[in-house]
Amino acid sequence: MRRLALAVAAALFAAACGGGATVQQASPLDNATPPSKPVEVTFWHGFAAGANQDATNALVQKFNDAHKGDIHVTATYQGTYDDTLAKLKAAIQANQPGTLPSLSQIYDIGTRFMIDSKAIQPMQAFIDHDKFSTADLEPNILGYYSIGGKLYSMPWNISTPLLYYNKDAFREAGLDPEKPPQTLDQIRAAAEKLTKKDGSGNITQYGFGAAIYGWFLEQLTAKADLQFCNNGNGRDKNASKVLFNQPEDVKIVDWWTRMVGDGVALNTGRNTTDAQNAFKAGRFAMNLESTGALRGYQSSVKFQLGAGFFPRSTANAGVGGAIPGGASLWIMNGKPSYEQKAAWEFVKFLEQPDNMAYWHTHTGYFPVDKKALNDPADQAWVQQYPLFRAAIDQLHATKLDKATQGCLLGVMPQTRQAAEVGIENAILKKASPQKAMDDAAAAIQPQIDQYNQAVAAK
Amino acid sequence: MSRSIRRGLSYLVLAAVTFVLLFPLLYAISGSLMSAQELSRYPPALIPSSPRLSSFADVLKAIPLARQYLNSAVVSIVVMLGQLVTATSAAYAFGFLRFPLRNLAFAVFLATMMIPWEAVIIPNYLFMAGNGLLNTYPALILPFLATGFGTFLLRQFFLTFPRDLFEAALVDGCGHLRFLWTILVPLSRPALASLGIYAFLQTWNQYFWPLLVTKTSTMQTLQIGISSLRDTEAATAPNFILAGVVLALIPALFLIYVGQRHIVRGLTSGALRG
Amino acid sequence: MEAAQVRGREAVFAPVLHRYRAREVGTALLFLAPSLVLFGLFTFWPLVRTFDLSFYGSDIIGRPTLFVGTRQYGQLLASPALRDTLVATVLFAGMTVIPSLVLGLVLALLLQARIAAIGVFRTLMATPFAFSVATAAVVFAIFYNPGVGVFNGFLQLLHLRPVGWLTNPSAALPSVAIASVWLQLGYNVLVLSAGLQAIPDEIYEAARLDGARVLAMIRYVTLPLLTPSLFFLLVVTTIISLQSFGQIHILTRGGPANSTTTLVYAIYYNSFAFGNSNFGLSSAMAVVLFAIVVAITAAQFGLLERRVFYR
Repeated sequence: MRRLALAVAAALFAAACGGGATVQQASPLDNATPPSKPVEVTFWHGFAAGANQDATNALVQKFNDAHKGDIHVTATYQGTYDDTLAKLKAAIQANQPGTLPSLSQIYDIGTRFMIDSKAIQPMQAFIDHDKFSTADLEPNILGYYSIGGKLYSMPWNISTPLLYYNKDAFREAGLDPEKPPQTLDQIRAAAEKLTKKDGSGNITQYGFGAAIYGWFLEQLTAKADLQFCNNGNGRDKNASKVLFNQPEDVKIVDWWTRMVGDGVALNTGRNTTDAQNAFKAGRFAMNLESTGALRGYQSSVKFQLGAGFFPRSTANAGVGGAIPGGASLWIMNGKPSYEQKAAWEFVKFLEQPDNMAYWHTHTGYFPVDKKALNDPADQAWVQQYPLFRAAIDQLHATKLDKATQGCLLGVMPQTRQAAEVGIENAILKKASPQKAMDDAAAAIQPQIDQYNQAVAAK
Repeated sequence: MSRSIRRGLSYLVLAAVTFVLLFPLLYAISGSLMSAQELSRYPPALIPSSPRLSSFADVLKAIPLARQYLNSAVVSIVVMLGQLVTATSAAYAFGFLRFPLRNLAFAVFLATMMIPWEAVIIPNYLFMAGNGLLNTYPALILPFLATGFGTFLLRQFFLTFPRDLFEAALVDGCGHLRFLWTILVPLSRPALASLGIYAFLQTWNQYFWPLLVTKTSTMQTLQIGISSLRDTEAATAPNFILAGVVLALIPALFLIYVGQRHIVRGLTSGALRG
Repeated sequence: MEAAQVRGREAVFAPVLHRYRAREVGTALLFLAPSLVLFGLFTFWPLVRTFDLSFYGSDIIGRPTLFVGTRQYGQLLASPALRDTLVATVLFAGMTVIPSLVLGLVLALLLQARIAAIGVFRTLMATPFAFSVATAAVVFAIFYNPGVGVFNGFLQLLHLRPVGWLTNPSAALPSVAIASVWLQLGYNVLVLSAGLQAIPDEIYEAARLDGARVLAMIRYVTLPLLTPSLFFLLVVTTIISLQSFGQIHILTRGGPANSTTTLVYAIYYNSFAFGNSNFGLSSAMAVVLFAIVVAITAAQFGLLERRVFYR
């Protein structure tokens, strides 16, 4: 009796003082009943005010109305994707039940980290438990978020990269506006024709411009059907080094350096917004950007807009493809099972064809559910934005393999930064492309090692 | 050079310099009234051809501006009052009282000015999280109630106070608190106003800490709201962002233009005077 | 209220034997207590924890799990990246403090002109003080924009070549410094104007009667009497510049090619940016930054304060 009292006292003491693990991990398979209804689901996302946030809130409202009294979802904006991840890490570290959300939207490059954090419940657990069919979801998109056939998070807002161009400028330069360049060499040739100078020798229009955005390098690597990091692009086991200093990638960086150095491309730095503004202002005639920029471009450019497949560096068109970018939804496991199940209900809701069609037509993100493309509202939208066809065709033309699944790396966000610094150094002529990328790879190596050490030690 | 030419030249130089100094504000106001098209031209326009207030409306739709104004105001006012109380009492001790280790204690206060906030932000965050204070006013207020800078400022000011007046008051039986409240504070109004305005603005302008500890848009402060405009899709239209900037500036500008005389007077009488 | 006839700060109190009255000490403790408690909770204890954290490596969540002792410091102090970061930090401080003091002084002197409506000019010149780091940086970002920026637009109109304000590594740090100087000028002009106004006219009259001309007056009368304000601003603006973060974050994110990564920005970068959570490493950096700030401020007080003329 005394021992029981002591045990109870110890448990109460531990609970009261909040020491140790106060966050219990639960399996979604148990049938715990919620103490009260509706079950509250907190949803963190990185959509600032605008169409994306409005669409998110509309879907949340629709879900809450359909599940009145049962489940209530509260969506809050947490800052940029980086900020959301930083806050999530801090919340995991603080280890207090109230600080973690039930569901969180994390960008694609945070995937490996989220898996290794062991703070999430893989989607596969719910899929198996519910016998949910993923047959209707785009396999090329699921591919990114699956390892060994197991889906860890649910892709939600997906974008792919495209080549945008100024059809009017093409016509003026004697190029066929319906035949955008497909390879980097073709872009170079077109850019030379598109660059215009005024009387005093100042360039009034550059042929090409793109933000120094690491994502573009990753995409070009996938288009060449090459891996960005080793160990099967990080999917056989944790990658131990990056490959962005391989010959093909150096060739790409060299191409970019020459474009800027020879005055046919404008360097607007690493900020994608700056490059978008410059393109809209007509500073250059060709631009690399994601499908997310399509509606913004269409509504603000004063020239006739064109969009084609994202270019490839190689001549062979039959291999490789584009990697789906964007973000996915993660269910945290430090929550009671009924809360996790409620979050899963919301996730399923978002992936339904009708809601996916709504999501697509209101944001421009790629519909994850194939059936959404058959929705009449969706088809009408594609009629209105026919340039989006290029994105659909590009995704369907992609052959899913390790290269096009995309690199999974625990320190992928930092790696993308390192790649950008490498490209920047090459363009700014601070180092040759080979040296710049070698240095960048060497710079990120300690972080990769530290990450893998930390993961192995757990 | 004749008097009037010299005066004319003074006006000219002053006007030119003031214009350069004011340019960011002028451009922000001008840009907030322009359309997105005008701002994406190159070279960009400087004067709106047909001014419109639509950007302001868009900003008001994008963020709960009124609520965020309120949050910023509450936090800034409470911190300002708190700093006035703590700085005045501490500066009084350093300026008038004798006690062992006084110089060391003052050095400690000065040292707090040198500790970069980035160095203590994580332990502070964990403290708030561990005590359930995330997304509350206390989290935004508590860490800033004491101020090394304010104590420094007021101490310099108090040091110029005539010692004989102080001793006379004490001899007359005036206790420290009474002396502080009835004599010192009224005479120090300019310095206190200056510190108050500075404290208010510092808090009003904070960015990273509120971002880290607030979770919902109804709890966020104005700076977070304004900076979040940069991350919106409409951010490619600078007029939208500039409208937010103008809205955020209005109270600060008001304070500066109205309170500037107080600040000057406060800085004149005592502290930095010989 | 006349200023006391004192020289130096110690002489404020007449040379009395170091006898402390218990009640006075008690009162002092009471008056200092609120500040000390708050500092303890939110400044000193966290600083200790940071110091502690600097001896640990961080796991992928950021938890201090692996005790590495001083190895992190060793790695940090040996890395060439730290050298570049320190260079950027010192350069940035120099590019911000000196111009903001010099320009502030020039503007404050201009504002001493005895013309009507001088008060209007003085009020308007305080405008930068109303801006926060965020609002100022956002506006300057539009000025410096590489594609459609206002400054390059001006240059284009003047048929000059555009400048890569934020894309050229040699130009980026000065560009951020310009924004910082502008931001600081409002306050500097206020403080120096106040200091100038505090100088009694009689002194100028006396100097003029002695035959002093304008420049000589500035050099031998104004500046010495302004040294309290100048010293105060020197200390404050140095500390502010060594801790600058917002303008770097908004304008350049530490780039291009890490040319604007100061120590504070490196701390932020390693703690929060791009999925980083190397709190151990950034804590070590924070300790280094703290040491630097203390050293510089101590040097300023030690070397320069004695030249301050308190009268």
